[in-house]
Amino acid sequence: MNNVLEIRDLATHFFTRDGVVRAVDGVSFDLASGETLGIVGESGCGKSVTALSILRLISPETGRIVSGSIRFDGRELTTLSDEEMRSIRGHQISMIFQEPMTSLNPVLTVGTQIAENIVRHRNLSWSAALDRAHEMLDLVKISDSRRRLDEYPHQLSGGMRQRVMIAIALSCNPRVLIADEPTTALDVTIQAQILGLMLELKEKLGTAIIMITHDLGVIAETTQRVVVMYAGHKVEEAPVEELFARAMHPYTRGLLRAIPRTDADAELAGRRRRLQEIPGIVPALTRPITGCPFAPRCAFVAARCRAERPPLEEPEAGHTVACWEMRRVLEAAA
Amino acid sequence: MSERFSLEVTDLVKHFSVGGGLLRRPRMVRAVDGVSFAIGRGETLGLVGESGCGKSTVSRVVLKLLEPTSGRILLGGVDVTPFRPGAMWPHRRRIQIVFQDPYSSLNPRLSAGAIVGEPLENFGIAAGKEKDERVARLFERVGLHAEDTRKYPHEFSGGQRQRLGIAKALSVNPDVIVADEPVSALDVSVRAQVLNLLIDLQDEYRLSYLFISHDLAVMRHVSHRIAVMYLGRIVEFTDKRTLFSQPLHPYTEALLSAAPVPDPAKKKSRRVVLQGEVPSALQPPSGCHFHPRCPYALPACRSTDPPLIEVAPGHHVACLRRPPGGDPAPLTPSQ
Repeated sequence: MNNVLEIRDLATHFFTRDGVVRAVDGVSFDLASGETLGIVGESGCGKSVTALSILRLISPETGRIVSGSIRFDGRELTTLSDEEMRSIRGHQISMIFQEPMTSLNPVLTVGTQIAENIVRHRNLSWSAALDRAHEMLDLVKISDSRRRLDEYPHQLSGGMRQRVMIAIALSCNPRVLIADEPTTALDVTIQAQILGLMLELKEKLGTAIIMITHDLGVIAETTQRVVVMYAGHKVEEAPVEELFARAMHPYTRGLLRAIPRTDADAELAGRRRRLQEIPGIVPALTRPITGCPFAPRCAFVAARCRAERPPLEEPEAGHTVACWEMRRVLEAAA
Repeated sequence: MSERFSLEVTDLVKHFSVGGGLLRRPRMVRAVDGVSFAIGRGETLGLVGESGCGKSTVSRVVLKLLEPTSGRILLGGVDVTPFRPGAMWPHRRRIQIVFQDPYSSLNPRLSAGAIVGEPLENFGIAAGKEKDERVARLFERVGLHAEDTRKYPHEFSGGQRQRLGIAKALSVNPDVIVADEPVSALDVSVRAQVLNLLIDLQDEYRLSYLFISHDLAVMRHVSHRIAVMYLGRIVEFTDKRTLFSQPLHPYTEALLSAAPVPDPAKKKSRRVVLQGEVPSALQPPSGCHFHPRCPYALPACRSTDPPLIEVAPGHHVACLRRPPGGDPAPLTPSQ
């Protein structure tokens, strides 16, 4: 398997009045070419900061990558100059965001915004770039694409804006597409359309995707492998079927049990079942976490969990987990 | 008319006029276009639909935060529709709301204790020491600490703020709570805590919930009966079990099939992906509002507006292809 991205011990911190926020604190994972990797976690777990770090979009006034390495096709990204980084961003690695309205320029037409990216990265004339923009709109299945080229973002619906974002992101055939909550702001029937489109284009173009979401349903339906993050740490990583069938980390297990589901038949029969809660809340990241970040909320917590950070172990091939009490957790499930 | 129902709504209509000017006639948005339902004590009625379907407008109208264009609203058997704000006041206590984003609905300059205690004073229920004691009890009941009363909203996490919002709604002993997307802004692990709290409180106080959400999984968890809305109208209305096991309206079927299932083994086996988007409520399609997106539409659907009828006991559907007593088997696409 050849990896397009290799991330090792990435740490991105923010320096605020309240202290240092360790948003990402030692995260490692690989992205194989053409695969879809999910990063799942709750607000503040560091999933978006990981994505922004890969693209070097952390604002230097507030934070920076303090350590670790990000290798793209063998090239180290953390030490590239801004100029070199600009030639990669939007070209070989591109990104789509949750709210397309805030990432599209309201005073430029759709066609201009797609063509702009193409001209920046490819040796094409403006009219050739506009032709390519037209092709891209057809590719993302925007009807009446010729007319849409001349429209402005406010004239489009939320679903169409997200299609335009995808068209811009894919216009230079990137190797990696990072999608940060791409369907969270959309209605469920439109979400189904957009996710379907992304997977179809991935097959067609061979782009590897990092799908960042809090929604385990989206993870289950779109990804092949999943990284679970909690409080700036990676706590578990596994192939998607394995993760849903045999999650090993108490946090992952808790998440899977806490979601109400549309497919469970049990609760239809009788009384409303109580959802399993994860007690407590996510820890503040302004204080350094000694030990396991999940320890204060964990039912399996032992003295060691509060004192020492658990290392990532690989109890099954391809399935890694960071938990001191893994054996007890697995026994409890059996 | 009976008091079996805490909240009863008949033919509720709310139109907004938009645009318009000196020479231009304003256009009508039929945000809610003839909606009827009743909620019994201790019951949760779920109102589900996508953005713009009118579900939030329904919630504002039943609270009389918006005046209905026509229709009737009965609160505990009392017709409150004609009441002006003054006359409405004694009845306001009976129906309270919990909002989606508790942060924007809590006054940042008031302490948490003052926020929750305010309705008690406003309605003359308790004051002074008695009020403080009731507030402390409410805090504990919703899973906050009594000493948290001195904190301000920004010192709480999202889930705790939603607990505050619930404590505030609960403080005046309402019969009905309108919960408008109460867990949509919360993280998964906290969402479960808040849903469990809402269910426990309902069982304890026999509260009626009008529960509004776009999330079918949440809906399935908390509701007893569910109404599916599309462009201002209820298109299907039945008990939760029937809705999920035997949806009859094509829109319900599409909604259920579009919801991502958190189980990779069940990956999109038979997905109905709807084409197109929800049309503008300014110019709703003729006939059945859903016909341009409906895979089963007949020519008649373009011109005939299907009424919501009871096709099987307790199962109401507005679809020409679902006549009373008809075969509930899945439809076959037209063409």
